[in-house]
Amino acid sequence: MLSVILSEVPALPLHTAGKYVAGAYIVLFAIVLIYVAIMAIRLSRIERDLGELLSMSERAGEPPASSAGQHSAEPTAGATGKQDPQPESTLA
Amino acid sequence: MERSSRPFGYGNGLRTLSVVTVIAIAVALGLVFFYAPLEAEQGFLQKIFYVHVPLAIIALCGFVLGGLLAIQHLRTRDPRWDMRSYVVIHMSLIFAVGTLITGSIWAKGSWGHWWVWSEPTLVSFLIIFLLYATYQPLRFAIEDPERQARYASVFAITAGAFVPMNFIAVRLSTAYLHPRVLGSTSNLPGPMALTFLVSLVAMALLFATLCKYELTAKHTRSQLRALRRRLSGELADAPTRPRSAVPAIQHAAAAPARAAGRPVL
Repeated sequence: MLSVILSEVPALPLHTAGKYVAGAYIVLFAIVLIYVAIMAIRLSRIERDLGELLSMSERAGEPPASSAGQHSAEPTAGATGKQDPQPESTLA
Repeated sequence: MERSSRPFGYGNGLRTLSVVTVIAIAVALGLVFFYAPLEAEQGFLQKIFYVHVPLAIIALCGFVLGGLLAIQHLRTRDPRWDMRSYVVIHMSLIFAVGTLITGSIWAKGSWGHWWVWSEPTLVSFLIIFLLYATYQPLRFAIEDPERQARYASVFAITAGAFVPMNFIAVRLSTAYLHPRVLGSTSNLPGPMALTFLVSLVAMALLFATLCKYELTAKHTRSQLRALRRRLSGELADAPTRPRSAVPAIQHAAAAPARAAGRPVL
């Protein structure tokens, strides 16, 4: 299938201005890649903060609602930082 | 918990948007390299056009949008509008960096120079970029969050109004090296025009997706901070926030906003 497609598409004249075009598209790719890397760092920070908060709530003797399994049908609801009114009302 | 009763968040629809964006970018790249014909004068080098011009258009539109969102902030005093304005301007600035770099690469290939100071289109875009580069330092310089948001909104509106004025002024100028894309002088053939439009849509989707990611991340962080304060027994409105260019969240208003099912940014 791929070989059929490749045989149909025209050959790219990379020898003339290929390096400039490649450079421009690599810039766009790099911007998105850097952004994804920054988001990954943020996500790991959020994960670490959530872990700290979880241990804080355990120390306070109040198990988080999601781990208590009171009302969550979705196992990831409490661990992904989504809004959940139950912990706020019980932890206030 | 039923899905319908879950409060609205910025993360809603993010997965769908991300998938649509990836598909759009893949289609755009396919069209650019395997469908659009080679331009007679510039040949293969003209392929940069399909990334450079959409980047520039989306960046400029983003700056204007940031101003419009800032107007909403000043009208309603709702910090969520300030956050949206901040994120849109922040993302536009990143796209503007991409525009300048890809433009310089194109200039080097086409004219033999990385930068031409006598070209009004290039210099005017650089002025706009430098203008918005002062947005973050301006925010950081003001400690009081409310004053910071107000001043930043005034800046965003003024600078946002400057963008179309600058665009018109450059169009009225006569000395051009830079090719015209939008206007009477542009006569793109059908396949090129289609490829350009798909690239523009793909870039707009990328912009929207990245903005949504940014808003979701900031929303989640603010929720975590609020939860941390609750757990550590601090007052909800205690001034514990370190100096930052990022818009402040009014935590006192967060509870009713959450109760109403709205995001608090």
